[in-house]
Amino acid sequence: MGFESFYKRFDVDERVANVAGFNPYYMEIDSGLNEKIWMNGRQIINLASNNYLGLATDERVKEAIISAVEKYGASLCGTPISTGYVDLYKRLEYSLSNFVRLEDTIILPSCYQGNNGLFVSIAKKEDLIIVDRFAHSSLIQGIKAVGCKIRPFLHNNLEHLEGILKRSQDYKQIFVVTESVFSTDGDISPFKEIIDLCEKYNALPIIDDSHGIGVLGNTGKGILEEENIINFKGIYTASLGKALANSGGMISGKKEIINYLKYYCPHLVYSTSLTPSILAGIEAVLKIVSSEFESLKNKLYSNKQILFASLMEAGFETTECIAPINSIKTQSKENTFKTAKSFFEKGILSTPFIEPSVPVNQGCIRLIAGANLTQSTIEEACEIIKSVRKT
Amino acid sequence: MNLEERIITTLKNNMERLQEINIESKLKEDLALDSFDILMVISALEDEFSITINEEDFSEVVTVGDIVDRMRAVNKKDKDKR
Ligand SMILES: Cc1ncc(COP(=O)(O)O)c(C=O)c1O
Repeated sequence: MGFESFYKRFDVDERVANVAGFNPYYMEIDSGLNEKIWMNGRQIINLASNNYLGLATDERVKEAIISAVEKYGASLCGTPISTGYVDLYKRLEYSLSNFVRLEDTIILPSCYQGNNGLFVSIAKKEDLIIVDRFAHSSLIQGIKAVGCKIRPFLHNNLEHLEGILKRSQDYKQIFVVTESVFSTDGDISPFKEIIDLCEKYNALPIIDDSHGIGVLGNTGKGILEEENIINFKGIYTASLGKALANSGGMISGKKEIINYLKYYCPHLVYSTSLTPSILAGIEAVLKIVSSEFESLKNKLYSNKQILFASLMEAGFETTECIAPINSIKTQSKENTFKTAKSFFEKGILSTPFIEPSVPVNQGCIRLIAGANLTQSTIEEACEIIKSVRKT
Repeated sequence: MNLEERIITTLKNNMERLQEINIESKLKEDLALDSFDILMVISALEDEFSITINEEDFSEVVTVGDIVDRMRAVNKKDKDKR
């Protein structure tokens, strides 16, 4: 008996890419995230990465990373509970906690891993997890791993959420899970009201602020600052690979729970620490954010507005975004890929989303114009947007 | 409201977009529900009919009519017990 039938399971359906004559995934990039990136011997305007503040190639960040490599080398070759816990790591736990104004923090290799590890560590089979229907894959996978009852609620719909809470009082513990910025559409959850509902029905709120940290709030501290939430009693997670321009994930909250996770979250305890260079890079970004956020934010939002105006002028249909994201509604998979292809051929790298990342036939193309893009590049992008529409 | 109407109303209250639903509507093809939506629908039916539904019982549901059949069977079982 061969393995043939087993390997048959792994056929990837590439029909849409074939129809469009374009596969937008796993495209090779031959440079860092500069003003323009190199792909296939061409320079392309990058409106695809989550480098909101444009700090991924900032000279000060690079220098901090290089110094950390010189001091510590490539890796500590240990998990945080053993040799991975360098002074840099401890300092960053403290600075990140301070940054989001919560008591304590753990830092994991990625937020995906953090969201996967969080729920199995704190929830039990007899609990209930209520989650926004559009929550990120990392949250859903993490929640499913618990094996408890899961109830999705309609996206950002407080009435629907309250209905579920009202009818779900027989569980040991209830968690309500959502995100701050939903990155495919760029809309923001009414998190303050969700916390109020949690208090009313004795549930614990959990928020993933991956697209909010370094973006939302007057000083970039994310959703809690944006919504003026003080003394947050729930759990906060975020990616350090988007506006914070490095990689890694954080989980923050009350001291008791974070200390528990330090010993009982297997995804933290049994996984090699982030490298010293990344820890130093994040620290450098936090410093820049603390002194320059206002101007970075102004640039980010002004870039978004200018692109938005040209999308409107060109006749694209977009979602209503408050976050610094433009999301074009392209509906079918085929049209989504074709539009992304036109953008690419004319010089813009975008992020197309098709199911299962978004509901069936609600494909979209996301454009994020980081704060590092200069006026002339933005103008060039606007011209491309207008010409794409005409084709 | 009869059983069919109750089920269709429950579905409508648990969908992101308003759309026409009838007894022949296919959950996946016509209503574009994914596995997470179906989870939401199952819980809503549990609330509506004060029952517990085994998710596996739902794995072969294709149309709204299939839900109606299942709910009718549950109702009947309940009545038989009484
Ligand atoms: C909402 C949300 N959560 C978690 C993640 C995963 O973060 P990371 O890239 O740090 O694993 C992402 C990134 O795509 C995200 O958008």
